[in-house]
Amino acid sequence: MSRTESIDVPERVTPHVTRLRANAKEGAFARRMAKVWEFATGTRMAGYVLVAPAVLFLAVWFVWPVLTMVHLSLTSRVVEGVSVEGFTLENYVRLFSSDLYFRILLRTLRIALLTSLFTALFAYPLAIAIARGGPSLARLVTITLLAPLLVNVVVRSYGWQTILNKTGALAWVLKIFGISNPPVLLYTEWAVLIACVHVYLPFMVMPIAGAIGRIDRSVEEAARVAGATRLAVLRRIILPLSLPGLAVGASLVFSLSAAAYVTPQILGGNFSPLLGTLIEQQILTLNDWPFGAAISTLLIALVLASNLIFLKLVSRRFARWTAGAR
Amino acid sequence: MNETVSLPLRITVGIILALVVAPLLVPVLMSISDTPYIVFPPQGFTLKWYGEVLANPEARGSFLFSLELAAIVTAVSLLLGVPCAAGLTRYRVAGQDAVLGLILSPLIVPLIVTGVALLQVFALMGWRATLMQLVIGHTVVCLPYVIRSVSASLLLVNRSLEDAAAVLGAPPHVVAMKVIWPQVRPGILAGGTFCFIVSFDDYPVSMWLADGNHFPVPLYLYTVIERSFDPSIAAIASLMIFFALLLVLVIEKVFGLSLARLAS
Repeated sequence: MSRTESIDVPERVTPHVTRLRANAKEGAFARRMAKVWEFATGTRMAGYVLVAPAVLFLAVWFVWPVLTMVHLSLTSRVVEGVSVEGFTLENYVRLFSSDLYFRILLRTLRIALLTSLFTALFAYPLAIAIARGGPSLARLVTITLLAPLLVNVVVRSYGWQTILNKTGALAWVLKIFGISNPPVLLYTEWAVLIACVHVYLPFMVMPIAGAIGRIDRSVEEAARVAGATRLAVLRRIILPLSLPGLAVGASLVFSLSAAAYVTPQILGGNFSPLLGTLIEQQILTLNDWPFGAAISTLLIALVLASNLIFLKLVSRRFARWTAGAR
Repeated sequence: MNETVSLPLRITVGIILALVVAPLLVPVLMSISDTPYIVFPPQGFTLKWYGEVLANPEARGSFLFSLELAAIVTAVSLLLGVPCAAGLTRYRVAGQDAVLGLILSPLIVPLIVTGVALLQVFALMGWRATLMQLVIGHTVVCLPYVIRSVSASLLLVNRSLEDAAAVLGAPPHVVAMKVIWPQVRPGILAGGTFCFIVSFDDYPVSMWLADGNHFPVPLYLYTVIERSFDPSIAAIASLMIFFALLLVLVIEKVFGLSLARLAS
């Protein structure tokens, strides 16, 4: 290539020559890069090398801590401020035998179940609008539903506080309708439930909308042509065929609301703590690490159980229901 | 086609959406009230609460710290997550299912438990480095989202386009940059954006690991709600809501991602 330099190059050819030269240079560079690339990707170890950092990171900073915590809950207990080592189930027994703690456990289960139930009720109209409405309606519903997810949970919970307050928006609206002393909702389980339903609604709507979207429209049309009312279509077609979506949504919402901390803290105050608050109190206030670890372990077990129950059970039932349809 | 969405259903949807928006609208209304306490409907009009919040060094410090934390977490998550997604989708890795299970497991364990478990381990180690620990905690939570999002887009990459480019003489790195990258970019962008948002909004992990000098916005908001009663709380809440709206605009218009895709 260097020979071109010695030749007298006419003006209009110069750009082409420069490009040729650049190409040749890139060719050499490309050959070198290709070699590096082949070396990096061609070996059998490449996949492992790529996956290893993330796997190691999670093994050290997730698996190890969680296992350490479960271990602590079984091998240590705090008696009158002094920790006693040795295998014990005392921390778990305490959770079920003490009336105070057992009530908190029951309340957590109750709120998580009711939240799943109410989000499912509100989710169906929205999911049908997303899956079966026109593109503009679907877009409107999706954005209005998902945009609040970007607003911090603390702010959303606070928003409910301003509504449910004695001098809040709800009291004002009720006064217009002539109800002068509105029910006290703030710092009760109802407030926690209302806010949880609001916060976790999108997690129920999206899977159900996905499931409804996968239902073949011709099934609904056939039913309508055959004389089924809208309600019958909803009950006999949309509802049963969207069950897998409902199962995913329910397991998500149940898990999230069972482990909720911020919302019950802001709206339930000190009067209706859930398990999350109990963990925080035991560890940061009372310094009872083993008991806190036991509650945390129970929370993990709850979440795993709900996943198993909602997903496995419903999917089996679903298979039976739709067996005839296939 | 629109027949399935009947009028009663439309009305129901309208009411539910109004209820979804209400808790975000009411604080905004209350933030302009010219009263020393929070009241609905707002009385008078003032922007002084906004001025008060913006002038508050604590609020500003928390906001900047959260931005910094989220940026670091996003960078670390992408550095760990993108290669991992590539390894999982384009190479044979023994025990792939186990690896996938491990990677997605932080999504199942409640965040509050992840946080407390990490705090316990850090305490056992006697290690004190709040920023590092917050980054680690948030990355544990964010990494699964990044890997899931990037893997999804890597699986959709059209392999025959790569072959075509290679046959036409493109060296591998050119194929990577000009054929694979444009197809994977939306997935990386979506994963990174989601990661940033999750870190910026995290409360249940930060509550264990933060300290007075490293105090993310959500924790700051919570302490403000606990201790004060004037409309300046509503003003902070409103600012956070405006920030989220800005984020929606950036995601939808600038990045060209749909919110629905981020959430799925």
